[in-house]
Amino acid sequence: MATFNLQIVTPDGLMFSGEAESLTVRTVEGDVGILPNHINFLTALGMGEARIVTGGVTRRAACIGGMLSVRNNEVNLVPTTFEWADEIDLDRANRARQAAEEKLSHRNTLSDQELAVAEAKLKRALVRSGVAARR
Amino acid sequence: MAGVSMKGIKLRIRSMESTKQITKAMEMVAASKLRRAQDNVTRSRPYFETLYSTVCEISGSSDAFTSPYLEEREVQKSLYVVIAGDRGLAGGYNHNVLKLAEAEMSGKNVTVLPIGKRSVDHFRAHGFEILSDVWAQAGDLSVSDCFTMARELCKRFLDGEFDEVHLVYTNFVSILVQQPSVLKLLPLHGTGEAGDDKSETLYEPDSETLFAAVVPEYLGGLIYGALCESVASEQGARRTAMDSATKNAEDMISDLSLKYNRARQGAITQEITEIVAGSTVS
Repeated sequence: MATFNLQIVTPDGLMFSGEAESLTVRTVEGDVGILPNHINFLTALGMGEARIVTGGVTRRAACIGGMLSVRNNEVNLVPTTFEWADEIDLDRANRARQAAEEKLSHRNTLSDQELAVAEAKLKRALVRSGVAARR
Repeated sequence: MAGVSMKGIKLRIRSMESTKQITKAMEMVAASKLRRAQDNVTRSRPYFETLYSTVCEISGSSDAFTSPYLEEREVQKSLYVVIAGDRGLAGGYNHNVLKLAEAEMSGKNVTVLPIGKRSVDHFRAHGFEILSDVWAQAGDLSVSDCFTMARELCKRFLDGEFDEVHLVYTNFVSILVQQPSVLKLLPLHGTGEAGDDKSETLYEPDSETLFAAVVPEYLGGLIYGALCESVASEQGARRTAMDSATKNAEDMISDLSLKYNRARQGAITQEITEIVAGSTVS
């Protein structure tokens, strides 16, 4: 089966490097699937689940922010946050979700910036717990 | 006479010894912090490099479209982000990076965004225009702080507050070698290497939106990487400086001990001479 070279790097280090058969990620425009010999491609990542098929095994992860570039069958996934489904701390995500929801429950008292921060936190927590819950 | 100088030497030895203990302790602390900082550097380096090369490639191969981030404006105002340490006693670390920053800035109309306490103090004392001193503690900054900073910078750059942004930091070459360096952040400049198939790259949603989303991330990543390098450099410089201070203290102590023993021997000899002289007389 045809493969492509995939590298996933985050500020916390190299998360994956090797041959993969397919990659699905959530971009700012919606889910995008990358198969071998994809055209050169560049996009910004949104918040959501990433699925990587390597050696017939599908691995799932929470993947938030950053960018995806494809160049001559070399795929670089450069997210801000990337956590494999089995490494997500579900308790922490749930706690973060509760804290953010509580903060948003009295949203009139918040400034625009605080509101944006709280909403971003809630979204992150939802992505994490969503990915972790389906493992 | 000999007694006074003996006491003086003894005091000096004692103060040398306590100094040595302090420098030794600082060296140990720096060494353990260095190990952690070095781990951070090795972990963030691939990210830093991939990000840098990818953005260089796309901005180099993207003659077809324009983005405010790519546009070279006439430079009226420059912003310098200068990363230095939080504390002194790190050999030439702070001095070197600040000196490089000043050399780069000379003759330009600049605003400074200092990171690290030493950097804030320095630019405030020299009367530079300071953008913000929220990020005074270089050691405590997290990834999300860097992204906040980057978004702020991008916004101000697009508003036309300044026409170019430079980053001055210290590159961690090895434990013994740290190299202060300057990196131009904005406007983006391409390396122009990927000229072969520029028309075939697909940008989604479109190049301009893409740049607007990717550039703040890119800057945040770059600043974070530079910060990791700088923090590691600071600890490395401090370890080396404290190591040599400890060695100097040891040298001085052995020198002083020699002097002390000579003075002691001299005093004893004198005393014996006096007693012998006294007993011959009687």
